[in-house]
Amino acid sequence: MEAFTLAVAKGRTANQTIHLMKKIGIIFNNFTSSSRKLVFYNSDKTIRLLFVKAVDVPTYVERGAADVGIVGKDNVLESEADVYDILDLRIGQCTFAIAGKPGENLNKEKPITIATKYPTITHNYFSKKGKAIHIVKLNGSVELAPLIGLADAIVDIVETGNTLKENGLVVLEEVEPISTRLIINKASFAIKSTSIQPFIEKLRLGLEE
Amino acid sequence: MQPFLINSSYSNVIDDFQQQEVLINKLKHRFKTYGYRQIKIPAFEYYDMYASINGIVNTDDMVKVMVPKGKVLVLRPDVTIPITQVMVNHPTTQNDRYFYIMDIFRYHDQANQVNERTQAGIEHFGKKSATTDAEVIALAIHTLQDMGFIDFKMEIGHAGLFKALISLAGLSKQELIHLQNFIQSKNIAELEPYLNSLEIDDPLKELIRNIPFLYGLPGDVINAIQKYGLQENMQAELQHLIDVYDILKAYQLTDYIIFNLGLINDMDYYSDIIFQGFIEFIGEPVVMGGRYDQLGKQFGASIPAIGFAYDLQLLERALQRHELLATPTTISDIIVYYHPSMQKKALTDTLHLRKCGYVVLSFPDQENSLTTSACTIHYQKDSCTLINKGNSYQFHDITEVQELLVMQEGEV
Repeated sequence: MEAFTLAVAKGRTANQTIHLMKKIGIIFNNFTSSSRKLVFYNSDKTIRLLFVKAVDVPTYVERGAADVGIVGKDNVLESEADVYDILDLRIGQCTFAIAGKPGENLNKEKPITIATKYPTITHNYFSKKGKAIHIVKLNGSVELAPLIGLADAIVDIVETGNTLKENGLVVLEEVEPISTRLIINKASFAIKSTSIQPFIEKLRLGLEE
Repeated sequence: MQPFLINSSYSNVIDDFQQQEVLINKLKHRFKTYGYRQIKIPAFEYYDMYASINGIVNTDDMVKVMVPKGKVLVLRPDVTIPITQVMVNHPTTQNDRYFYIMDIFRYHDQANQVNERTQAGIEHFGKKSATTDAEVIALAIHTLQDMGFIDFKMEIGHAGLFKALISLAGLSKQELIHLQNFIQSKNIAELEPYLNSLEIDDPLKELIRNIPFLYGLPGDVINAIQKYGLQENMQAELQHLIDVYDILKAYQLTDYIIFNLGLINDMDYYSDIIFQGFIEFIGEPVVMGGRYDQLGKQFGASIPAIGFAYDLQLLERALQRHELLATPTTISDIIVYYHPSMQKKALTDTLHLRKCGYVVLSFPDQENSLTTSACTIHYQKDSCTLINKGNSYQFHDITEVQELLVMQEGEV
């Protein structure tokens, strides 16, 4: 079988993926969650596994550096990568939401300011609603922005809501559900179909169990 | 240099241009062997023409220019549309074949940068037939083979089939865009709940839900879609795809063919068979095309046609990735150095060699020792010497040099 490359987001997604792979009989022998290695092979060397930063997974797949990727839908949407978004792996489930101080009005007449790690998603969501906003792009600790007046609200992924609660913020509006996705390079899908199609099928069956 | 004058796309214009020339010559040659003639159209077009044609090029993406009298022009954002317009005023015979190598200009996303891309493509004007459509696809495959690619696939789909299916569903424009996005990205996870939220008959829903799976070996795809009991007109379109595939069998190109009935081209003018070519490691199609029999009607004429275009920048990326780029050629075959007193003879001989087709550079007395060549000729006050691959030969007349060069080339 033709070998292919799989890029997986580092961190929690990586551990969940290894677990899912084990379930469908694909074993990565040398993998331990504490390892700092970035490249692994499965037992029969038909899959090369790369660990990359989550935001970079769609780029790896779109540019063909990896044939297949496993990453949260938030990163797929933000990158607007031209790839097949073929399977919902039903792990890493959470929600995209607008959050702010309790009672914050999102429908004010003048444009509100939104702080986010996801400017593209935020822009697309508000322009679909026909609402003008200002975006402040941050790279972390987004919850801080409304507290110190950097922004009126934030757009971020919310899993348990604990971080929001501890910082005195509440969900004001849900944008859309997020989960971990299997994405595929369009050329690889055409050219390496003999190895990639069975892999997708195995995963699909594995998920139904 | 002033820093703001640096344009990153100028980074390697010299070598890149040479390599692009090699590529373009290959494409031109192959297009010509199928009977296509090159054409060129103006870079500036009337904005009104594009604005009046339904949803083909987003008017925001076009690069506009105001002329003093107030008319708005655009830099050519597409090639097929203006060529079709030219054909309206041009008495066409059947089987008119043209090819082009032209740049198109569009604004790139929100970056506010003009994106200039070179397209190399063909347009074949003439009535729809399986033989024509198959030959056009065969030509696209043939050019990819010329460039040295081995691992590539041509996905064949049908714009009309998809449109006919969707029209049965009676969706709003917004709903259609959503649905197309899900189908294009094979996003089954979201396609299903979205379809369930729409008011569509169950059998049709089932068919639309399965469009992303109508992908793979032609035989399998045809069998899969037959299960849904298509309407007569769709059945005819499907038969056309089968006929085209049968002819591609005769061309012995079936190894490269995949059917993808979920294929949707963003250019809305395609009405029948559509196709796109993928090369390993390049996520975007390097070549796209299809039949656009209805486009002429927007200009008030019936001009059935099929065509395709290569994106040269993507092709170059693919060639580079597969290490198939032409190696930059050495600048000269022969370098002539001469003593000032021998200038007349040296320059006369240089001219003679150039007339014979050699690339020759000439310099007075080793003034330019940076340029090197395997073959040099030295005109000293009292003797003339040819040094070729380390061996030196004395000569009197340039015809002796010519003979020596021809002889030694024969040995290689």
